[in-house]
Amino acid sequence: MSETIISIQDLSKSFGDHEVLRKIDIDVHVGEIICIVGSSGSGKSTLLRCINKLERQTSGKIMFYGKEIRDAQKEINEYRSKVGMVFQSFNLFNNMTVLENCMLCTRKVLHLPKAEAFDRAITHLKAVGMAPFINAKPAQLSGGQKQRVAIARSLCMNPEVLLFDEPTSALDPEMVGEVLNVMKQLATTGLTMVIVTHEMAFARDVSTRTIFMDRGYVAEDAPPSELFSNPKNPRTREFLSRYLAG
Amino acid sequence: MLNLFSIENPEKSWEWMIFLAKKYSDMFWEGTKLTLFIAILGTLLGFVLGYVVGIIQDAKINQGDNIIKKLFVRLLKIIASIYVEIFRDTPMIVQAMIIYFGIRMQAHIDITPVSAGILVTVLNTGAYMAETVRGGIGSIDLGQREGAWAMGMSPMKTMLYIVLPQAFKNIIPEMANTFLTNLKMTSVLNVIAVQELFMAAKTVGGNYYKYFESYLVIAVIYFVLCFAFNKVFIYIEKKMQGKNDYALAVEYMDNQ
Ligand SMILES: Nc1ncnc2c1ncn2[C@@H]1O[C@H](COP(=O)(O)OP(=O)(O)OP(=O)(O)O)[C@@H](O)[C@H]1O
Ligand SMILES: [Mg+2]
Repeated sequence: MSETIISIQDLSKSFGDHEVLRKIDIDVHVGEIICIVGSSGSGKSTLLRCINKLERQTSGKIMFYGKEIRDAQKEINEYRSKVGMVFQSFNLFNNMTVLENCMLCTRKVLHLPKAEAFDRAITHLKAVGMAPFINAKPAQLSGGQKQRVAIARSLCMNPEVLLFDEPTSALDPEMVGEVLNVMKQLATTGLTMVIVTHEMAFARDVSTRTIFMDRGYVAEDAPPSELFSNPKNPRTREFLSRYLAG
Repeated sequence: MLNLFSIENPEKSWEWMIFLAKKYSDMFWEGTKLTLFIAILGTLLGFVLGYVVGIIQDAKINQGDNIIKKLFVRLLKIIASIYVEIFRDTPMIVQAMIIYFGIRMQAHIDITPVSAGILVTVLNTGAYMAETVRGGIGSIDLGQREGAWAMGMSPMKTMLYIVLPQAFKNIIPEMANTFLTNLKMTSVLNVIAVQELFMAAKTVGGNYYKYFESYLVIAVIYFVLCFAFNKVFIYIEKKMQGKNDYALAVEYMDNQ
């Protein structure tokens, strides 16, 4: 097994007395494509937000290359610059053009020279087919275009891992394909990805490992070939049958 | 033919207005300039203060930071809310008196009425702007910030590059409003002997015992100023709405 990038250890999270994550243990290795599936409210988004420190865990820890990430702001910023996140609602900066969106953090966080930041932006925008739109504002783009820009923007940071929280759930059906294609393309580059998704076919075909979450627990964690064709946990079976039937 | 500007023996009110406006044109002009000066400088500095205080009030205390930083942020937030409450809950005319006489009599600093007037305007504007800024920040979707945080941008930089530019656009109308209010509110500064427009009218009116006419003169001046500024602000707002199209970067088209 290749090197561990992120190690989630005994992670729990409660909102008030509502336990949303319970004792999660997951190791993310270099090059893995992990898809996380599960029914609504099972804690998938919260887990991803904890990994990126947008949410503070109640207990347990997150290790990055063997080093615990503590809650000091500086440490968090440094860590986040290496762990990208793509949101369901895109979260492109509305006051900036596509190009500015892709250059802001490489300039202000990584302090790259302008020319280099520009080159990176163009390279990644080309890869997602959005380079012609560098002068557009987010409000002028379709959902699928916005999400492709958001992916390019994250890639500009050269992250060690890229987290996706239901990147296609806010899209009109005809735009889901263009975003999934970009992600399939990314999967072939060796980038490590953790993807929360309701696209079961995508999880089955693209992931190297699928995690089924249920009521805050990791109920099953297996290669997709096993999880989809021969689920061990009855709850996984129930979920999949509901999903594949509906 | 009647020449409006050579009335020597005014009888009707409007004749008095013209007579006074002409005879004391220097005084009214000086008063107008001072009113504008205090309103513009006071408002601009007040905006800066308002932004700083609004940002402090919006700041979250990060539980993971060290104790000194946490205490410092908490202290700043307490000071900010006390300041905002005091200045929003007392009349500006009373603030003017207390600040002017407080500085002169208690602190023994020889502050001029104009400086005190600007200070009062700044502090008053800052308190109101702080609330406006906080509201403006709050109206920006949290996702905008999370997008930046998730790439390692610090909360301060996120505020500066993402949130404030968007909030600023939303609160321009409120900022214009504040300026117009200040333009009129400078009139209360006559109580600390600032020679602005109101003071000019008071002095002029006293000379002939023609208060009604004298105040009518400055009413016209205030009206014209506010009316003109209002039109300018509306124009600027329209301009700021920006264009709705963009040029495709054709040099990258072939890569589709
Ligand atoms: N900020 C919050 N405050 C309180 N409760 C929250 C908060 N965020 C999430 N929750 C609760 O935590 C539970 C898990 O939410 P989460 O968004 O992680 O689920 P999910 O698996 O991503 O669901 P979905 O598939 O609908 O996106 C839900 O019951 C939700 O109501
Ligand atoms: Mg979710």
